[in-house]
Amino acid sequence: MTESFYIEGRRLLDATMRLGGTVGLAALRPASGAISAGLRLEHAARGAAGRRLGDAALAALDAALVSPVAEEAVDRAMASGLARYVVDRLLADGIVEHVVDRVLDGPELERVVGTVLESPAIDRVVGQTIESRLADQAVARLLASEELWLLVEEIAESPAVTDAITQQGFGFADEVAGGVRARSRNADAWLERTARRALRRPPR
Amino acid sequence: MNHAAAARVTRIEQPATELRYEGLVTRGIAFAIDAAVINLVAIVVAGGVALALSVLSVSEDSLDTVLIAAGSALFVAWSVGYFVTFWSTTGQTPGSRLMWITVCDADDGSTLRPRRAGLRFAGMVIAAIPLLAGFLPILFDERRRGLHDMLARTVVVEAPKLIR
Repeated sequence: MTESFYIEGRRLLDATMRLGGTVGLAALRPASGAISAGLRLEHAARGAAGRRLGDAALAALDAALVSPVAEEAVDRAMASGLARYVVDRLLADGIVEHVVDRVLDGPELERVVGTVLESPAIDRVVGQTIESRLADQAVARLLASEELWLLVEEIAESPAVTDAITQQGFGFADEVAGGVRARSRNADAWLERTARRALRRPPR
Repeated sequence: MNHAAAARVTRIEQPATELRYEGLVTRGIAFAIDAAVINLVAIVVAGGVALALSVLSVSEDSLDTVLIAAGSALFVAWSVGYFVTFWSTTGQTPGSRLMWITVCDADDGSTLRPRRAGLRFAGMVIAAIPLLAGFLPILFDERRRGLHDMLARTVVVEAPKLIR
């Protein structure tokens, strides 16, 4: 009996606690709604203020850039050695190397080079360079220089070149000899057929 | 080289193709190349000797006769030596090499010994004496042998896959 009384008491206590929790939550709901609304308002206000400030900053920057003060500011900055300092820092920190690597690895360089090479301006520049006296003078100087002929002589006497020429000579001789061989064997067959026919002998 | 031996050589060194005996025209071209080489060398040597003798001012008639006789003997020796050496070493003179033909023993396909090579050269001279009639059997013989081949028991066959 004591045990059943204990169980009933425990159930009553649980129901009381659940009822209390529900009542507590219902009582706190207006407060939590007010807090959430406050947070949303604060977030919206901060976003609007940030946009306004950004717009104002950009407008101020535009105004500063078009004003003669900007040039003066740049001149003063350059005179102060700031630019040199910035360059030194960029070099010392390896940022320049990073930029170079990025440009070399990226597709932008290829795109720019392709655009430049395909432009008609390059054709004009190359044509003008070739037609100019500069090219003639360069060629004339090159031909007149002894170093060029020493280089040509060096290349001509190099084992690789002489081997290539020798191989080509052998190849040509072999080709000619092959043609002669084929014709001579045809002539052999024809001569034998003719001789055997003349002597009324059966063909081989 | 009989047919069985020829077939044996073919099986060993040229399994996919038949042994091919070479004809009169191919051999004639090879001989012409060799003759050109022999004569070219002889002319260069003779020119050098004549130049040397002219420097030494040796111009007596009797000496000229001796020199001509010696030159002729040297020319014959040079010609014989040329063919015998090549036939008994590689089986190919330079002309034969260019035409991809080789001289070998008719029985076993081996390279000739110097004595056989000399005999073949003598046979070639004999074949040439009756207006080259000794070479005509090449046109009719089953193995394309001339008189000199029959005398020395040799055949001339295609070389590339046997020798080269």
